Amino acid sequence: MNDCRKAGLAHFAVTIIGKDRPGIVADTAQVLYTLGCNVEDSSCTMLGGEFAMILIVSHGKPFSKKHLEAEFAAKNTGTGLSAFIRTLKDDEVCYREPVGELCLVSVYGSDKPGIVYRITRELADRQVNITDLNTKLIGSPDEPVYVLMLEAALPHGMRVEDATELLQNLKKELSVEISVRLITPVSL
Amino acid sequence: MAVQNILTYPHPILKKVCRPVDQVDAEILQLLEDLVDTMLAGPGSVGVAASQIGVALRACVVDVSNNRHGKENNHGRLLMVNPEILEASGGAVMREGCMSVPDYTGDVERATEITLRFTGADGAVRELRATGFEAVAIQHEMDHLDGLLFLDRITSLKTGLFRRKSYK
Repeated sequence: MNDCRKAGLAHFAVTIIGKDRPGIVADTAQVLYTLGCNVEDSSCTMLGGEFAMILIVSHGKPFSKKHLEAEFAAKNTGTGLSAFIRTLKDDEVCYREPVGELCLVSVYGSDKPGIVYRITRELADRQVNITDLNTKLIGSPDEPVYVLMLEAALPHGMRVEDATELLQNLKKELSVEISVRLITPVSL
Repeated sequence: MAVQNILTYPHPILKKVCRPVDQVDAEILQLLEDLVDTMLAGPGSVGVAASQIGVALRACVVDVSNNRHGKENNHGRLLMVNPEILEASGGAVMREGCMSVPDYTGDVERATEITLRFTGADGAVRELRATGFEAVAIQHEMDHLDGLLFLDRITSLKTGLFRRKSYK
């Protein structure tokens, strides 16, 4: 959402994580539905053997975090799922569309410490705003390969070529492959 | 000049298969003009289909000549009635957005070379070969004529890249 249509409602950030099995999403959604909460925005995925859910949920009336916590605690007893809930202020609910170009940065190479840190520090120092990020350890135990894919909004005026240039030194230093591609959506 | 409102989903007309146009008459010429005006009024818009302005007929306009992806390779302003794709080849993924589905984008794979037949504003049937972004834009607009939105074409979640690898 580009605007704050839901301003004034109760909003929470809910994080659920636990050993993967069929039914985690359904169980979570059931708790929220029963309470009359709306799932405004969410991203859920498998990470290793875990299933992780991150949701922004709203409720049309004043609603306490404790109430939500208690319901999740009751539902998740004995399931190994953990739930973390944070109350959001109105200004945390609004989605602010990035202003600059959107690009995809792919980084891969032999696994070593510091790949995520060095890449993201370099980007952060130039005000490049990461909007999505995934990492995965692949390859064999003898030759582990690290893959990092991220999407980032460049600050106004920065081009994809500039971002590529920015990461050139790290390519040598970390001995990894780095490429930056433009993925700014086309408006049709 | 008649800029029309762009209808947004869930307006039911956007999911309708549009009817072929019998002949290019004054009414159709007006429709094409409205489509062009509406396209030019939309910031960065490169095409509009009739159903997006509430007319369930097979007509759409495309013009990628002012877009950075299309300015080097285009046929200018295309006014198309009853367009059909005769041949399609190649494939590329672009992240698409649509004025009828605000605030959402998704990666869609489309052919990068198409041979197209359509009736122009002069009533004559034309064939042309479009490539690159122009081909993508034409396919996006033509999807509207079949009641398809880019949401029907998204091939993977953003994270799909990683999902084929299983743990051993």
